[in-house]
Amino acid sequence: MMRKSIPFMAMALVIAFAIPAFGQASAIDYFGYAWETGGFPPSDPGDVMIFTGVGDYADPIFGIDFGTEEATFYMYDLVSTGEVPLEGGSVMINYTGGYLEIYRDAAMNADWGIAPPNLTSPSTFMDGTLFFKGSFNSMTLYLNPGGDGVYEGTLDGIGGTMIDDVCTGCVYTWGGNFTPPSGAQIPDGYDIQIDGVFEIEEAVSTEDYSWGSVKALFN
Amino acid sequence: MRTRITLLLLALLLIAVPASAQQLFDFLGQTVVPAAAGGMLNMDSLIRDPAPATTPLPLDFANFEYTLVVTNLELISGDGTTASPQNYANGTLTIYEDNSTAADYANPATFSDGEAILIGTITTLNRTMFTLTLGSAAGWVDWVGGTHLDDIAPVDQIGWPFLTGISARSTVIEPGYSEQWDGKVEPEEPIVDTEDMSWGSVKALMR
Repeated sequence: MMRKSIPFMAMALVIAFAIPAFGQASAIDYFGYAWETGGFPPSDPGDVMIFTGVGDYADPIFGIDFGTEEATFYMYDLVSTGEVPLEGGSVMINYTGGYLEIYRDAAMNADWGIAPPNLTSPSTFMDGTLFFKGSFNSMTLYLNPGGDGVYEGTLDGIGGTMIDDVCTGCVYTWGGNFTPPSGAQIPDGYDIQIDGVFEIEEAVSTEDYSWGSVKALFN
Repeated sequence: MRTRITLLLLALLLIAVPASAQQLFDFLGQTVVPAAAGGMLNMDSLIRDPAPATTPLPLDFANFEYTLVVTNLELISGDGTTASPQNYANGTLTIYEDNSTAADYANPATFSDGEAILIGTITTLNRTMFTLTLGSAAGWVDWVGGTHLDDIAPVDQIGWPFLTGISARSTVIEPGYSEQWDGKVEPEEPIVDTEDMSWGSVKALMR
């Protein structure tokens, strides 16, 4: 009995959690604007980064219809550990803590306004249905001497309808680039424009096995 | 004179966008990076509707697919590290409008079909990799051609920032490409803006 049930459950789990093992990971493309307490740059130890943004493309697996709903992003409570100089005048900034929330909202009312936090930001980016909530495991930002740069972090999913519907137990990656006001149109009061991708990394990679090979694993 | 003023106001209404709207071409694509100086960088990407922001030119996302393609961007120097960013120059950036063939990374030609609505020169671009898989690139675009070039005032056709994040993780790279680029091209200020004017001020313009 045990030999039959365990392989069956293992295969069911692989099917339930599988996402493409090759090519592009499932992703939502987004952009928006961020600010940091105390201003950015510089990023001083203890400064807190906040971001509000909107999705403008999502792979079909997410089931988001941008014609009738918006996907909004709210990232908060990321605490800077300060700047670490790199060669060439760039700096690296690690953040601790922090959460990312993604909402689906038929009101389609996202509005950055100016001088955040304000009456519409973050409030219009955190209304609707909570699609995903994740806690950051890591978040690192690289700042070029010109004021632009990139960032990348990973999250654990801790809530939202996506967790059950799309990928339970997955690792989520959050990355992209940012631009200072000298190179982008940024609403007053925000420090940087952000353009990035939210991705699901595979939790369980898939491999093709014959039924005999699967049974052999348990013999 | 009254007719001219009426026509002018109608024209302003037709082309006006909210003064606070940010404008950008937001793209997500795949890039082939050259191995050595003298080699060419090429990118195929899709432009998405950035609502509630807008594109710098009105685009019909409901009926067309828009692709942004970079070709023949020559690697001049550098190894791509923070100490020695790669310097590129003289590439071509083209935005295509197409409603017949869906873009498919398995067939790169599907990105460069349709009508070339904007053609630009990437005058310079710097590419820096901070880790083995994470980097950024920043450059400048001058628009020089395309069927919609004249929709941009000559003074606004020069010096658009091009900025992208770079991911070289295997899970995000399509076969035949070496990096995923997620970025945008945008004017530093909205190129079609609105101003609040009194009726008297509008009339004064016609005297």
